[in-house]
Amino acid sequence: MFFTIARKELLDMTRDGRFRWSAAITLGLLLGALALGWQHYREISQQHAAAQKATRQQWLAQGSKNPHSAAHYGVYAFKPKQPLSLVDRGVDPYVGVATWLEAHKQNDFTYRPAQDATAVQRLGELTGATVLQLLVPLLIVLLTFNAFAAEREQGTLRQLLSLGVRRSDLAAGKALGVAVALGLLLVPATAVGVAALALAAENGSFAASLPRMAWMGVFYLLYFAAFVGISLAVSARARSSRVALVTLLGFWILNGLVMPKVASDLAKAAHPTPSAFEFARRMELALKNGVDGHDPQSKRAEELKQRLLRQYKVDRIELLPVNFSGLSLQEGEEYGNLVFDRHYGQLWDTFRRQERVHELAALVAPVLAVRSLSMGLAGTDFPQHAHFARAAEDYRRMIQRTMNNDIAYNPGSRSEDKAFVYMRSNDLWETVPDFRYTAPGTSWVLSNHVISLALLAGWTLLAAAAAWMATRNLRVD
Amino acid sequence: MLTRIMRHDWRLLAAERTLWAVSLLLALTIGYGVLNGASWVAFQERTLRAALAEEQERLTGIKTGIADADAGRTSPPSWLDPRSSYAVGYRLGTRYATMPPAPLAPLAIGQSDLLPYYFKVTMSSRQSFLSADEIENPVHLLAGRFDLAFVILYLYPLVILALGYNLIAAEKEDGTLAMTLSQPVSLGTLALGKIGTRFLFVLALAAGLSLAGALLAGADLAAPGALVRLGLWMLVVAAYGAFWFALAVLVNAFGGSSATNAVTLAGVWLGLVLLVPSLVNVAAKAVHPVPSRVDMIQSMRVASQEVTARRATVMARYLEDHPELAGADGKAQNEFGVRAVATQQELDRRMEPVQEHFNEQIERQQALVDGYRFLSPAIVAQSALYDLAGTSAFRYRHFVGQVTEYHQAWQRHFQPLTLRNARFTPGGVDGLPRFAFREEPLEAVVRRAATGLAGLLVPTLLIGLWAAQRLRRYPVVG
Repeated sequence: MFFTIARKELLDMTRDGRFRWSAAITLGLLLGALALGWQHYREISQQHAAAQKATRQQWLAQGSKNPHSAAHYGVYAFKPKQPLSLVDRGVDPYVGVATWLEAHKQNDFTYRPAQDATAVQRLGELTGATVLQLLVPLLIVLLTFNAFAAEREQGTLRQLLSLGVRRSDLAAGKALGVAVALGLLLVPATAVGVAALALAAENGSFAASLPRMAWMGVFYLLYFAAFVGISLAVSARARSSRVALVTLLGFWILNGLVMPKVASDLAKAAHPTPSAFEFARRMELALKNGVDGHDPQSKRAEELKQRLLRQYKVDRIELLPVNFSGLSLQEGEEYGNLVFDRHYGQLWDTFRRQERVHELAALVAPVLAVRSLSMGLAGTDFPQHAHFARAAEDYRRMIQRTMNNDIAYNPGSRSEDKAFVYMRSNDLWETVPDFRYTAPGTSWVLSNHVISLALLAGWTLLAAAAAWMATRNLRVD
Repeated sequence: MLTRIMRHDWRLLAAERTLWAVSLLLALTIGYGVLNGASWVAFQERTLRAALAEEQERLTGIKTGIADADAGRTSPPSWLDPRSSYAVGYRLGTRYATMPPAPLAPLAIGQSDLLPYYFKVTMSSRQSFLSADEIENPVHLLAGRFDLAFVILYLYPLVILALGYNLIAAEKEDGTLAMTLSQPVSLGTLALGKIGTRFLFVLALAAGLSLAGALLAGADLAAPGALVRLGLWMLVVAAYGAFWFALAVLVNAFGGSSATNAVTLAGVWLGLVLLVPSLVNVAAKAVHPVPSRVDMIQSMRVASQEVTARRATVMARYLEDHPELAGADGKAQNEFGVRAVATQQELDRRMEPVQEHFNEQIERQQALVDGYRFLSPAIVAQSALYDLAGTSAFRYRHFVGQVTEYHQAWQRHFQPLTLRNARFTPGGVDGLPRFAFREEPLEAVVRRAATGLAGLLVPTLLIGLWAAQRLRRYPVVG
């Protein structure tokens, strides 16, 4: 029975000019967004890969210099993009594209792409994610707001129920009809998306991206199902189709436009972050009390000196079998690393807590749950940016250690007064391996977004239950 | 006649729940938006105060540091010695160039959450201090802020459409339209009267609440140009509202039912406020792509490496150009100072063209994209509102221009001192160049706002004329 109802609903919808137009526009926008996302991904990832190679070449071709000078020159790390970012650009426009891995400093990522764009960008970007999160639910609302309300107004609902049609069949049939109508839109889009992904991904990353894409598909389907359920429930309960439309549009605006901003305000109020000035100041004060590798007179450098003199049982630095500057530089780095870990750790922890608030706000707005899952799976959320920043920082520390250990332990740099005129060349630079980054797996991503997962599933179940109950107590007129 | 229609219509409107519910919603959202704007401005002001206090402390510390070092109480290494001009200009005495929030900044957060508002200027290259991003969770930057500008751009049109979608259609459906028009009154006058009531009400609400909000948020209306900006702000809000009212009348004039009108107007709102801006974004990126920052980083790295590698040559050439600095043996009398200044100048000489080229390309792209804004009143209004509140890229670029000048003045002050290896004295602290932000001349802001107003009023007028023409052929019955 409900297949018949579904078929009738589908026929109604596809014959309706309004559905055809809105579906065509939505499909056009979705395909356009995917195409643009693909082109953008290809361009940026090529650029960053080339830049990463170039910075490696610059490192190797530094020529002859003191290892500590090489450490100061450093390398740059350029943020890689994942293929699925063609669907959801996430926070990428708002985080820096590159960071300088130099001595004594953990630098932040600089040059946020959004700073070079105009203010129009803040009004909304056309990405696959915005179409799926904002426009498809609107389409669902337009398709289902008068599912029951119009039938009631036209009098056909009374006729249907007098025929003995089960209310559950009616609800299920209408839901299925909408689902198939949406499928006419989503199936081609998904096919194009997978093709774009295959074209975009290179050397094996397609296979790695497929599970992410599959999960993304599942979560968007749950989101759409929640909207279908809510719309059917409201349509069944509302006094008239006009009231149903206004309520659903109000919910759509609250969900898509208002709640993301209110969630940001709640997160900032609950877990405020320090200003950049305050953050830098605290780190500077903490570092001052440490070892300044360049300044042999700082207190902790003095302590290190005494320790080494005792350890090697000599009474002058020049008699040490190791180079004091190298060791003092590394000691300075180690202390600095502790400071950076504490401060950046605190900051990133605050960001994580803010994310929790965003995810919890999905209790009111399901889009926040699907947004965070979508960004996570596309590799464009903050945790994955922090993961890359962590890997880059570990690489920086490895470079510093290698350079400082060479100064400290290499027989050629034994005496103190040759410390900063001691020169090395390619052979040392090449001992530093190239920077290789492996993106985290799908289970890591999902484990970061458990709350969103739970709330999205909750919304879908709630919506289905609401639709069920609303149709059980269906008013006939 | 018109005032009679308006009075009567007001009585009808005021009796309905819709008007008060919608007004309450608008009032609450405006209040919340202004609160958000005010707290962001307060945060910026706190940060700037803290920065300037730290600078004062550091500069006083230089004076005492000089005394301590002279007395032998401390023996700082050369790069931290307050008696070394190089150390002061490069690190110890660096000053902040700050851009305080504009008087109307609480009204629109605009781009100010993304663009820096202070820089720490040093003797080193400009590029070393120009990335001064504020700490903010990028998800918040992505979602945008709930400020008054958001309410005006997105929710205010919805309020207008909610009040105007069934302007004429309701009367027609109730059957009273035919009766009213059998009196000696034209449909145009009737429509104008009804629109007039609603327009005045909504405008009074929006403008009045904005003003109240601005005052509560502590906007400094006594600042030069603040009242002009506020006046222009009200005009932009009025013009934007007029556009949406004209649109409502037009859609009504086609003779459809209330429900059809509602859906059509909602569709137009969606198109103009959400879709057109994102399509403009897409077109801007495709047709006027921004040059790559990554390439810029690479060029600068190459320049810096070349200068370091050829340091000896650079220094030799500098001594040739400035023979007064060479000693009897042909080498520099003050090798460290000459090397520092020579390499810095060479580095600047190489990096400036790269930076300038990049800036030019960006500005050109932004100017072209600004031209596209006339495709949607929402973009025109956004640009005007952000500009009047002083949180747009225009004010930021004006600030960066002044910072560049200040940086050059800073370098001009310290490079001669470094070359001579002049001793830095406590008196030198008071002679340090100071930065004072100068606002853009008001004419520039007014000119841009006027263009924005034209961009809103011209479509409004055209739509109004079209609506008037259609109303003449309105099917009053059937």
